[in-house]
Amino acid sequence: MTDAYIVGAGQSSFGSFPEETYRTLFREAYEAATPADLTPTDVDEAFVGTLGVGGRQIGLAGPAVTEHVGLHGVPCTRVENACAASGSALRQAVMAVESGMADLVLAGGVEVMTDASAEATKYWLGVSGETEWERMAGTTFSGVYAQMADAYLREYDAPRRALSAVAAKSHANGARNPKAHLGFECSIEDAETAAVVADPLTLYHCCPTSDGAAAVLVAGEGAARSFDDRVRVAGVGAASDRVGLFQRDTYTAIPASESAAETAYDRASLADPRDDLDFAEVHDCFSIAELLAYEDLGFCGRGEAADLALEGVTAADGDLPVNTSGGLKAKGHPIGATGAGQAVEAFDQLTGRAGERQLDDPERGLTHNVGGSGGAAVVHVFEAEGVTGA
Amino acid sequence: MSAPEPGPGAGAAADRLDADARILGAGTYAPSARLPREAVAEAWGRSRARGIDAVAVPEPDEDALTMGVAAGERALAAAGVDAGDLAGLAFATTTPPLEEEDLLPRLGAALGAPGDARTHYVGRSTRAGTRALRAARDAAAFPALVVAADAPRAAPNAPEGHAAGAGAAAVVLGPDSGSGAGLVGDAEVAADYPGTRFRRAGDADDGVEGLGVTTYDREAFTRPIRAAVDLLGDDADAFDPEKAAAFAVTAPDGDLPARAARTVGLSPDAVSTPVDTLGDTGAAGPLVGLTAALREGATRTLVVGWGSGAGADALLVDGLAPVEGDLDADRELSYAVALRRRGEIASDDPPAGGGAAVSVPTWRRSIPARYRLRAGRCPDCGGLAFPPEDACPDCHELVDYESVGLPSEGTVETVTGVSPDGAPPEFARQAERGGDYAVAIVRFERGGTAASVPMQVADADPESVAAGDPVRAVFRRIYEQEGVIRYGRKAVPAVGDG
Repeated sequence: MTDAYIVGAGQSSFGSFPEETYRTLFREAYEAATPADLTPTDVDEAFVGTLGVGGRQIGLAGPAVTEHVGLHGVPCTRVENACAASGSALRQAVMAVESGMADLVLAGGVEVMTDASAEATKYWLGVSGETEWERMAGTTFSGVYAQMADAYLREYDAPRRALSAVAAKSHANGARNPKAHLGFECSIEDAETAAVVADPLTLYHCCPTSDGAAAVLVAGEGAARSFDDRVRVAGVGAASDRVGLFQRDTYTAIPASESAAETAYDRASLADPRDDLDFAEVHDCFSIAELLAYEDLGFCGRGEAADLALEGVTAADGDLPVNTSGGLKAKGHPIGATGAGQAVEAFDQLTGRAGERQLDDPERGLTHNVGGSGGAAVVHVFEAEGVTGA
Repeated sequence: MSAPEPGPGAGAAADRLDADARILGAGTYAPSARLPREAVAEAWGRSRARGIDAVAVPEPDEDALTMGVAAGERALAAAGVDAGDLAGLAFATTTPPLEEEDLLPRLGAALGAPGDARTHYVGRSTRAGTRALRAARDAAAFPALVVAADAPRAAPNAPEGHAAGAGAAAVVLGPDSGSGAGLVGDAEVAADYPGTRFRRAGDADDGVEGLGVTTYDREAFTRPIRAAVDLLGDDADAFDPEKAAAFAVTAPDGDLPARAARTVGLSPDAVSTPVDTLGDTGAAGPLVGLTAALREGATRTLVVGWGSGAGADALLVDGLAPVEGDLDADRELSYAVALRRRGEIASDDPPAGGGAAVSVPTWRRSIPARYRLRAGRCPDCGGLAFPPEDACPDCHELVDYESVGLPSEGTVETVTGVSPDGAPPEFARQAERGGDYAVAIVRFERGGTAASVPMQVADADPESVAAGDPVRAVFRRIYEQEGVIRYGRKAVPAVGDG
């Protein structure tokens, strides 16, 4: 079995782009991820994540974007795992490379979310939940995460302010990311006093709906040699769970994240994520999701996430920076592009391309991508080339 | 040519004596929000509803069926009868949720009645309540549940609009040999009084109308009632109607019942239909009045249903029967909120079609779970699954579940509030009419295990609902799509529940 490497990664800006289509956005990401001299026939396989929000191109969404960038004839599969679509697509790419079936694989994702009416968007966002029961109880997606937040704050007697601290941190990071959808700063007070979306979540505790695309080029050891930058995929893990929150044993954790992380850590020989990781990009569609991620991913014990956020441990200058990109919260959340977009940030950090956000020589980072409210989760551990197992 | 006079219809009282029955228990239900008379007067300069202090206003997710189910469940509980043992089921309303669709299958499914129960649906006239009662008695398929529920509507500034209330009542009938209150005597009279209370057909239906011809209207009400009660008095086996302790009568307003009482020789004080606090409850009026009389301990109640057209039914209830349910109000609404809640000033446009639709056939498969919280017990490990599908949540075996009912009492595990802006499109109209609503996950315990269900918490300010709160499952409208109303269970706060 060969190791898999990310040899190129790029994304479009995330935001609202009335002039762009899902295809032109994907092209922007593709061009950012691949060297200009890449011959389309060098690509052995492609996996594209998209939910098709608003109903656009539900069938053959993968080939529709790969043909647009000239990858005619490449085996292409659309991967749909709600918000974990392109995290899952990336994992498929890694599996294809590690198995030896392919040497160079494109993994990416795209979503256009801002061209539908607010009502239609709400209609489509609900498809990632448990439609037959949660949706018929009148729950929105933010409602389900708000239920998790309500349970979490109550179970651990945690302050809502911790959610606002997460939001303020994400905005501080996003303000330094030129690709971010919401590139402005916000204070903890701004987040605390914003309009309530679903109690206890305020507007600043929720990510935006965004347009955008991201792409990652994954290579086996052979193909990787011809690229200048290489980031090793040290570990991958994925898991699924009951789609409905009400069907799970806990509302204050996402068991699929925990399980996916265990697998990824095991494969990456990573003993202590808090010590061994230099940064993490975690799925923070709502601020409560980031707190749960700290615990599910083993950055701290149960009930300790609020302290991590309030004490600045996960700030850009903290012990374990989380979501240096701005996260879903500030960078944006074009559903199908999000997981691949997290890998773009990891690649940029590990290859020194992160500009103003660049951390000091990070060696190992993690991406964590969740589908729905925890029905699916994917965790990747990446290492800068030359770093060996912890 | 002389005007038509009220008189006996075909089928005299004596023919029906064999079908005598007893009321084993009764239940009643009314929405707990009230629009006070003063609010109407402030909006229109006066209230045109005589003798009405307040009217009950249904929640956006309530209709005749949901109110009927609530009353029916209470009547069954009062009578100690299991819905699965019902042999007869009757439903009366002038305001069915749909113009055409048999309500009885839904009523039966919501309550858990057998599919082969004899059913009767009566509508079209406010006499429907007593007609349903008589139909169920005549069918003699006992035990039988008779439900009357109504929420009349009319133009906002019509007298009928000012009077429009809402309520439901139900009785369980058993054979004459049983316990409870005897249902003795039976009379009906028809008399042609056009234009007294009517609704136009089809698209022209703007609710109840009346021509407001004062004396004519009074005669159309009192004369058939008097004739029916006289006929009842002629029945040798019946009691003297003038000795009735209570008068449960159709009550379009607070004035006509009192007039009718005097006409039949009773004091206006005998009127037991709570029109002053509920408003016009249409076809439910006589049974609502009967349950109120039974609750007050009236041992002989004259029950009279009047329907425009016109005509009247008269029966006498002799004795007492247990009653469940109260008609307490818990909050007053402003006129604007009441109009909004009734949908009078809501937008009509249905939400655009989209992604999370649950098809009707798919939804129908889950009706036992939605209507009655039927869960599944794993035959291998005893785990509880809700909904009863998928592999067992505990042992992961793909089993055939044993069907078990969750209790109606549960506990909120976690909750959030959804605002009109944040509601999914299917719930946009409900939120527009009713405002913010709470959505909780509710835990129901049964036999040492538990299952959780996502539910709206109805009739509650979302901010007042918290984890740990006790709640009770009630039958409500969930949403409407493609013209099909989806019903299911919601939770209501159980503290102080009546």
